[in-house]
Amino acid sequence: MSSSDKELSGKKPIQILEKIKESLERLNEKMEIMIELQKHGKREFEPLSPEAPLDVMTLLSMPDHLRKTAMTVCRLGRATADEVAKQTHRARAVESAYLNQLVIMGYLKKERKGRKAYFYVDREGQG
Amino acid sequence: MGKIVAVHSYKGGTGKTLISTNLAVTLAKFGRKVCLMDLDFRAPSLSTLLNLNNAEYWLNDYLNGVCEIDKVLIDIGNRIGCQNRFFVGLANPSVEAIRDMSSKDRKWEMRALGRLLSLRDSLLNAKSFDYIIFDTSPGLQYSSINAIVAADLVVVATTLDNSDVEGTRRMLQDLYDLFEKKTEIVLNKVMYSDALMSGRDKLQSMVKNVYGVPLLGVIPCFCDVPRAEGKIIFVHEKPEHPFTRILGDVAARIDKLQV
Repeated sequence: MSSSDKELSGKKPIQILEKIKESLERLNEKMEIMIELQKHGKREFEPLSPEAPLDVMTLLSMPDHLRKTAMTVCRLGRATADEVAKQTHRARAVESAYLNQLVIMGYLKKERKGRKAYFYVDREGQG
Repeated sequence: MGKIVAVHSYKGGTGKTLISTNLAVTLAKFGRKVCLMDLDFRAPSLSTLLNLNNAEYWLNDYLNGVCEIDKVLIDIGNRIGCQNRFFVGLANPSVEAIRDMSSKDRKWEMRALGRLLSLRDSLLNAKSFDYIIFDTSPGLQYSSINAIVAADLVVVATTLDNSDVEGTRRMLQDLYDLFEKKTEIVLNKVMYSDALMSGRDKLQSMVKNVYGVPLLGVIPCFCDVPRAEGKIIFVHEKPEHPFTRILGDVAARIDKLQV
């Protein structure tokens, strides 16, 4: 076997595994959202509009668990679920579910960069 | 890392501007780099108090996204012997500007919150300010709640007036608790005899029982304060006055607080 063949056969499984891992992570996120939707009932998460402004009165009217997450993103500006979890001292998976709920509700935007998902308040893009 | 302190109250006339101005000046005299901002867009007062009526840019412009914050800040450190350490940002006192600010929608308020939050980067981090002090509007208004959300510490000025006590208690419970804000109380206009050492313990336990937050300071009724007619910076003009000593204690406590 030539060295380039070795490299190819060695690299492919890793790439495949990474793809699988990525898909699993996305699947996991979707599952988390579905679990949360079931827990709280769907109506609570229905978006007011595709882009609802995350102003202080909206923050005030949110359920406590979501307010904590939303406030943290407000403070950090742009953050991953990991970064939010560090601030709120809650589990990453929990924050990931809450963040995705806030995206569904139209309060946050989500952007993928490589394997990381960033959440932010879209202040400039609206209106 | 610097701190953002908002001075707020439930009712008007409780001494927010008096406390925030004199607190800012006291901190500057401690050697800190301080910026005092008038966020009371409905009834601006710092421009009159400091006799600065011809600002090129106002905080209104910064929040409207017209200019950056360094265009708004005015260095008046030389007035109090604190060169390059005392800056102010003013609210535009013209009726037109007040009307404009009271007709903003939710999206504008959301952006305004973003601009207040970004002062942490633009002033505390990039310009090494030690303090930003917000003087706010009383009660539950957008501009005040934005300021509270952006702050690290909220100083609530209150009197012993019954409607003020009850309103403040409800505001702390229904608003501050939800935002999990570090909050301390300054009791203002307290009868002189109650503010003395013997009465202070009673006030301390009253504040703890009613509001559930620490007591930062007690300011008795000093006739010298209204006598000054809001024309002077009290702690600067009257360094030996008991009011100045009390503000010194309050500022020292804030300086030590971990937020």
